[in-house]
Amino acid sequence: MGYFNDTAKALRTTMVNAFREPVTQEFPLVIRPRAERFRASFALPDDEHGEVACIGCLACERICPSRVIKMKSGGKKDSPVTGKKRAYIDEFVLDLSACIGCELCVQVCNSDAIVMVRQPEVPAFAREDLVLDMEKLRANAKLKTASWGTGTRLQEMQEPPKAEKPAVAKASPATETAPAPAPAKETV
Amino acid sequence: MEITVEVQSATRGSVDPHLSIHAYEAEGDLMLLHFGPQHPSTHGVFRMDLHLDGETIVKATPYIGYLHRGVEKLCEKLTYVQQTPIVDKNDYVAPMTNEQALNMAFEKLLNIEVPRRARYLRTIFAELQRVASHLVWLAAQSIDLGGALGGGSTLFLHCLRERELIMDLFEEVSGARFHYNTHTIGGNRHDLPDGWSKRAQAAISQIESRLSEYEDLSLGNQIFVDRMKGVGVLSAALALELGISGPVLRGSGVDHDLRRDAPYHAYDELEVQVAVEQGGDCLARAKVRFREIRESLRLARVAIDGIPEGPICSFKPTRQPTQVKLTGGQAYAALESPRGELGTFVIAGGDTPTSPYRLKIRAPSLHALAAIPYIVPGANVSDAVAILGSLDPIMGEVDR
Amino acid sequence: MNELVHGALYGTLIATAILSTIAMGIWFERKFAGRMQQRLGPTIVGPAGLLQPFADIIKLLQKEDIVPRDADRGLFDLAPILAVVCSLGVAAVIPFSPSIIASDLDVGVLWVLGIGGLMVIPTFAAGWGSNNKFALLGAMRAIAQSVSYGVPLVLAVLVPVVLSGSLSISGIVAWQAQHHWFAVWPIVPGLPAFVIFFLAMLAESNRIPFDIPEAESELVAGITTEYTGAKFTLFYMAEYVHTLVGSALGAALFFGGWDGPFAPGLHWMVLKTLTLFVLIYWVRWSLLRFRADQLMRLCWTWLTPIGVALLLVSAAWVTFGGTN
Repeated sequence: MGYFNDTAKALRTTMVNAFREPVTQEFPLVIRPRAERFRASFALPDDEHGEVACIGCLACERICPSRVIKMKSGGKKDSPVTGKKRAYIDEFVLDLSACIGCELCVQVCNSDAIVMVRQPEVPAFAREDLVLDMEKLRANAKLKTASWGTGTRLQEMQEPPKAEKPAVAKASPATETAPAPAPAKETV
Repeated sequence: MEITVEVQSATRGSVDPHLSIHAYEAEGDLMLLHFGPQHPSTHGVFRMDLHLDGETIVKATPYIGYLHRGVEKLCEKLTYVQQTPIVDKNDYVAPMTNEQALNMAFEKLLNIEVPRRARYLRTIFAELQRVASHLVWLAAQSIDLGGALGGGSTLFLHCLRERELIMDLFEEVSGARFHYNTHTIGGNRHDLPDGWSKRAQAAISQIESRLSEYEDLSLGNQIFVDRMKGVGVLSAALALELGISGPVLRGSGVDHDLRRDAPYHAYDELEVQVAVEQGGDCLARAKVRFREIRESLRLARVAIDGIPEGPICSFKPTRQPTQVKLTGGQAYAALESPRGELGTFVIAGGDTPTSPYRLKIRAPSLHALAAIPYIVPGANVSDAVAILGSLDPIMGEVDR
Repeated sequence: MNELVHGALYGTLIATAILSTIAMGIWFERKFAGRMQQRLGPTIVGPAGLLQPFADIIKLLQKEDIVPRDADRGLFDLAPILAVVCSLGVAAVIPFSPSIIASDLDVGVLWVLGIGGLMVIPTFAAGWGSNNKFALLGAMRAIAQSVSYGVPLVLAVLVPVVLSGSLSISGIVAWQAQHHWFAVWPIVPGLPAFVIFFLAMLAESNRIPFDIPEAESELVAGITTEYTGAKFTLFYMAEYVHTLVGSALGAALFFGGWDGPFAPGLHWMVLKTLTLFVLIYWVRWSLLRFRADQLMRLCWTWLTPIGVALLLVSAAWVTFGGTN
């Protein structure tokens, strides 16, 4: 009967696996190495002068598909460090409980002022604990490892090379105006 | 007892599905069993009302909508560049293909040519995602047949073990393990990191070496074959009539695969061997998926070897939500997802030029579930679980 | 009076031993299953997770005891208790050494089959009393299965009875100690009879590949769907007791029980029992499950006819003087 033969095969397979090294890890005690681009939580890093890099341009607030970022622009002021005039933010709140982790806010940030970090937030008991305000976000920048992706890096990676610009030039203008009707379907 | 097959509409006549439970009357001497939505093996929140004669199912009525999240409506409100991470959550076992189907439709709408490297990247991702998705199918199917406290869970965890390798690869590229958001209009957002190809080849080799173990525990096992053979026979004619595609259709003997028949990505440069099995039963569908795992691993390997240099995106990178503006036009783009033809139909224009007027996602799982009233009656409760598993529905995609 | 004291003393001893073996058996199973699935298994509670079974039990006992509104309260409460009693009761006549036996009945085999067969009652009581369709379906399947597999079980157990000419289990073991183990010689009725016994025992104790009564992917949890807390713990325990006692019975009937060289009899009996116990769990975590009709076909078209044939062969063996 095939049953005994197949049972023997199945028993052998499971026994072979029993002598392999387990692949799981005890998660909170052992953290597996995370990829360089791994993204979990957020941080607001400082610029080279030690000030918060965010200039309050609202790009990330606008792009966010789940609208978890709320910020208040602080207007232009003289920087106490460099003395030059630059824009600041007053408030920056990111509600991690509704965040879908899509990285679009990092993607659109031209001043690399918001980055994602590789360590996830600690699970919270209340929704309020998952709301990251400026202090938490700035602390994250110091305490946690930033992920590879920043706005400039991501944009640079996707930028079509300048040399090939003529080749795609006829496609690009279509973005601003209405394109030629697509051929796939007839009008309803 | 004579078994009659009736087509039931989802709302079943005029009965309000929110009436109290006593409002449901079993027909005649039959027992009405509410199979789901809280049931361990309905692959999410799917519900079947089974009319049982003893243990034989006389009538099966599928109910969907428990996981409806209004994705299509949401897409009408969000701008074009914001939608990729949203549709990621549709087919939550194969997120890559969702992103690709959506962006392919937008690219068609905008008349954008995707760079060759990006097309190869998409091919590699799609094929690896197909392997991962089919591994999840095998995992779920074995749980259905073997239980969560037994041999089924052993195969389940073995499958997830190999799927982890693929997820690690995707994590290295995109930074996320599951909801990648790595595609964008005109190409990809992330290029491959250094040494990725080598690690991917190693992972593929490892998965290939483990496939024989899966067969020992499933397809090569008499118990598995007994449970699957002759169960849930779906004829080719019915499958075509219901619009079923993918492995379920190919298991019914219809040679149809968009990768070969309407090539997208880089499939015109690769030769796709389409797996077709005759029979239309659960076993045939299982065989199709096993062959597709092998074929996808081979394709991924060829694509990784042949990946060209060059840009990964032909469209300017996302800088603001409103950078795509369209006043009219419509497009339909479809690809062969692990579950079949996953299409996106988009009509541009409407009140806002930055978001589509209407976006429709053609989900293959929805069509597969349509077969349930036809193929489940006559089977018993154990078979119903096996049939549902072999259709491999993802409720996130069905309800959207 | 003396016999009563002996029975009470040894009965308590054996029951305690079985229950504590099961606690460690659960740990072993979880660790073993974890390794087969390339997981770590329990690691946190105690060294190497050794205290995990106790944590499990404490957790289960803390749970709220939920009784469905329309449940048949009497049956619902009685079923888990009866399940443990029936499965532990079988152990009363199994000799763990020439002297360690709760009650050396002359008709021990009859007692085993009778009490083991009573398991149908708590199963159906649970299924009916829960007033749950999944539980009812589970109970229906369980009864069909237990009653059907009772037949090959009886036939397989009758082989050593015929060969040794004794209905007492200690008598059968003593006969094997004097002559030879039945699984080894005579090989034709002995080893196949053991295989049939093993399969029937898996089916009686609802173990994969025959665990369709509680098939959790089909029937949610079968008869235990509505049970929580302590009552569920009792069912859980009864299942393990049934498996362990079945292994002990197999060891006694076919592998010579306490018979073995060098070491005292108890060691051999425990070793053989645990080997069978581990085998059951190895099978459990390796195989998928049958469908109800396939299970029945296996029983009535293969196991039962072969069982009858084996019984006839063993009768012929004894009649024509194969052993004496």
